[in-house]
Amino acid sequence: MAALNKQTMLALAENAVKVALHKGAAEAEAFAYDGKATNVGIERGQIMKTARILDRGIGIRVQVNKAIGFAYTNIVDNPTTVEDAIVKALAAARASKPDKDWKGLPEKKTYAPAPEGTFDDKILALHAEDLVNLSTRMLDAATEADKRAFPIEGGAGAGYGSNAVANSNAVSVFEAGTMVECSLAALAREGNKVTPVCFEFAAERTLNVDPERVGKEATRLALSSLKTKSVETKNYKLLFTQFALQELLYYTLINAVKADSVERNQSPFKEKLNTKVGSDAITIIDDGLLPGGLRTGIFDGEGVPHQKTPVIEKGVLKNFLYDNYTAKKQGRESTGNASRAGYLSTPSIETTNFHILPGTKSADQMLSEVDDGLMVSYLQGAHSSNPVSGEFSVVATPAWRIRNGKIENATRGVMLAGNIFELLKNVSLVGSNERKMGQLVAPWLIVENVRVIGK
Amino acid sequence: MKDLLTKIINQATEKFAAQYAEVRAQNLSKTMFTMKEGRVEAAKQGIENGAALRVLVNGAWGFASVGSLDQKVLTEAILDACAMAKAASTRLKNPIKLAAAKPVEDHVVIKPKKNPAEISVEDKIKTASDITQVAMKWDKRIKSCTVDYLDLAGTSYFATNEGAYIEQDKLYVWSKATASALQNGVYTFSREEIGSTVGYELFDTETPQAIGERLAKRAVIQLGAKAPKGGKFPVVLGPNVVGVFVHEAFGHLAEADLALAGGVLADNMNKKIASELVTFYDDGTIEGAFGSFKYDDEGTPAQKTLLIKDGVVAGLMHNRETAQKFDAQPTGNARAEDFHVEPIIRMCNTYMAPRNHTFEELFEGVKEGYFFKSFRGGQANLDGTFQVGIQEAYEIVNGELGEPIRDASISGNTLETLLKVDAVGKDFELDSGRCGKGQTAFIGDGGPHIRVSEVTVGGSA
Repeated sequence: MAALNKQTMLALAENAVKVALHKGAAEAEAFAYDGKATNVGIERGQIMKTARILDRGIGIRVQVNKAIGFAYTNIVDNPTTVEDAIVKALAAARASKPDKDWKGLPEKKTYAPAPEGTFDDKILALHAEDLVNLSTRMLDAATEADKRAFPIEGGAGAGYGSNAVANSNAVSVFEAGTMVECSLAALAREGNKVTPVCFEFAAERTLNVDPERVGKEATRLALSSLKTKSVETKNYKLLFTQFALQELLYYTLINAVKADSVERNQSPFKEKLNTKVGSDAITIIDDGLLPGGLRTGIFDGEGVPHQKTPVIEKGVLKNFLYDNYTAKKQGRESTGNASRAGYLSTPSIETTNFHILPGTKSADQMLSEVDDGLMVSYLQGAHSSNPVSGEFSVVATPAWRIRNGKIENATRGVMLAGNIFELLKNVSLVGSNERKMGQLVAPWLIVENVRVIGK
Repeated sequence: MKDLLTKIINQATEKFAAQYAEVRAQNLSKTMFTMKEGRVEAAKQGIENGAALRVLVNGAWGFASVGSLDQKVLTEAILDACAMAKAASTRLKNPIKLAAAKPVEDHVVIKPKKNPAEISVEDKIKTASDITQVAMKWDKRIKSCTVDYLDLAGTSYFATNEGAYIEQDKLYVWSKATASALQNGVYTFSREEIGSTVGYELFDTETPQAIGERLAKRAVIQLGAKAPKGGKFPVVLGPNVVGVFVHEAFGHLAEADLALAGGVLADNMNKKIASELVTFYDDGTIEGAFGSFKYDDEGTPAQKTLLIKDGVVAGLMHNRETAQKFDAQPTGNARAEDFHVEPIIRMCNTYMAPRNHTFEELFEGVKEGYFFKSFRGGQANLDGTFQVGIQEAYEIVNGELGEPIRDASISGNTLETLLKVDAVGKDFELDSGRCGKGQTAFIGDGGPHIRVSEVTVGGSA
């Protein structure tokens, strides 16, 4: 099945809107998705499997008497099934109570010029053989260094996805993007000793990944976790890398800046706009237009233009993130933060690229600032943090002991406990070494005075 | 359907000499919604159909998924999977082989007492609304309540080149409710999750009243809770925490693919790794349980698998590929969320077997410790480090239940912790949950109350 082109996708979405209105919807919106992913998988040190996943479908949201219904189908080449879905959406709306806060679907807006670096023909042209080759380079780089290290799983993937959004306010937009990634998880063994899983990856929107770096780094991390010493229970200066930040922030800070969390008393940031919530070193922009960003695009899941929204400026809370519904309910404009998990989901508020702006210190300079502390990369259990209060109690697997600016040894089973909102206030230094990781774009951070429970 | 699937499979064996080929065609329909403080954002209904095609060519896997049951599309997809497998096989040192399996022909029909397809969306919304009402009216400090609802029904059509052909109905009803409470700047959070493979009658036993009450009580209790001390303590774990410990801390290590990947269990087969009070099972045959089914997605019948017997590692959970490597039998643990993904080794219902202590006896002799009653998330690493977040907990002072504590978690090394299980209760409870391993599986986990002589408690006080 070849990818559907722009005209076909737009026609599919626009036609669904037309049919829905004709069948009695007061408002209608259609979100069409078409995607193709090709993956090559590594298991236990060798390339063992390949997969190609083709997925397309359409989700239709309708409003009847201020009540909302939604239905989806993945059978889009048949007008009858799409029509059935529309009928189901209308039935679902009619079964629901009116929502007095519903103020209508998004209006048509002008879009910023398409951000750079989100589509690459070279990724589209990748075959399974090319991904096998990419994976082989990564594996070779991983295994040639040291026999104690063992790549356990990973692989390489290339993806294409396109969206079309149309609604009864004449919104009709289409966008296509690409992504390539390679990743490797490795552990090291020596005698009876097994290290935790160490993970490295590269993901880009254009064909610009370095599989050798990923392979080398995954095994280097695993090997450096072999020699462990216990640490004393006390408060330490911690150097957080992006892996740890992504885990920790997603369930806490990111939840707290979503407008619906604030409105529903699920955020400690309620009534904290324009007050100090973090250290001066912290500036965060939600940037849906960031060139080459993993979450970059022209518009969000409701067809609203992406934008740059300052969230925290030098420690001061500036804005919350909105979708169309939450914004209109409060008489505001959406910030373009409606996200969809494909055609089978309704929009919900999500960050685009949550960009912690970099500082000036290099990785080495950051390390040299730590006399007695820990470097924390991988966390276990961040998802069990209290999403409302921001309290966390997690395991660092592993963390590395830093003394006098140098990494000395790994530690095992160390727990960190605290509150993410206190932690934000204790950020003392921001690095210059930013990287993209899911929705986070961030450098390393140094945080003072974090409770560490050792042996 | 059988004829169509056989034709597709024959393409792989005839044109690429595939050693193994399977097709799993599915049609699935779902109803789902999220209710926040009684408001449904959008009731959602959907239909999907498609097929997953998996082949073994020259010892490498090829997999393709398409959202179509059209013969031409499926033919193209299976040939594509074969060509990709062939490309991947060029670097293979150890070609994949599968354990022998007796091809099954069967037709599994589910007949629920209350078929969710026959319950109106209005009624489903009413159930969620009742949960919300009970929780929100319980105490005015309850500030928010979210209820997620999902039902999923469908049929899987499974065929292999070995002659298996299984038509199997799927039915799941699931709901998760969360509430938050606020007082004097203290935020607390509580969650409840239920699920069943029986039908909508789930809500006759797990009534909206009972769910709403449990949810609200817990959020309110925590408002007066203090932060726990960090350090090592003796603990009593409730069935809900034991279940997630068995699943996360041990169960994943007992998945044969992870054991092969370097997990700590591979070298410990038939060795004593736990206290003799410890017996663990994975059981896909418990009627109505959330992790139960008749056949897995490789056509292997679900079974009850002994994982640890009286402290000794007795078995692992296998698919046909890992069973061949370990010279074992497939255990019916190859599961795929849907036709978009390939089957991988997943747990069914994983639990600890009860023994003979009463609840009160577990507390005897604990001078200073904690009772961890209910969990919020858990995660394990292949090296055996586990973490379980806790949403409801109390102090134990001189053998008595003390004050509530909040936002704790426990951690340790799984094998060391299993050796420290020093008393196991005679009660039993099985909870429903979802497990993520790249794809979501519906699972059950549980056990009795137990006592562990020492775990690390992550607390900020």
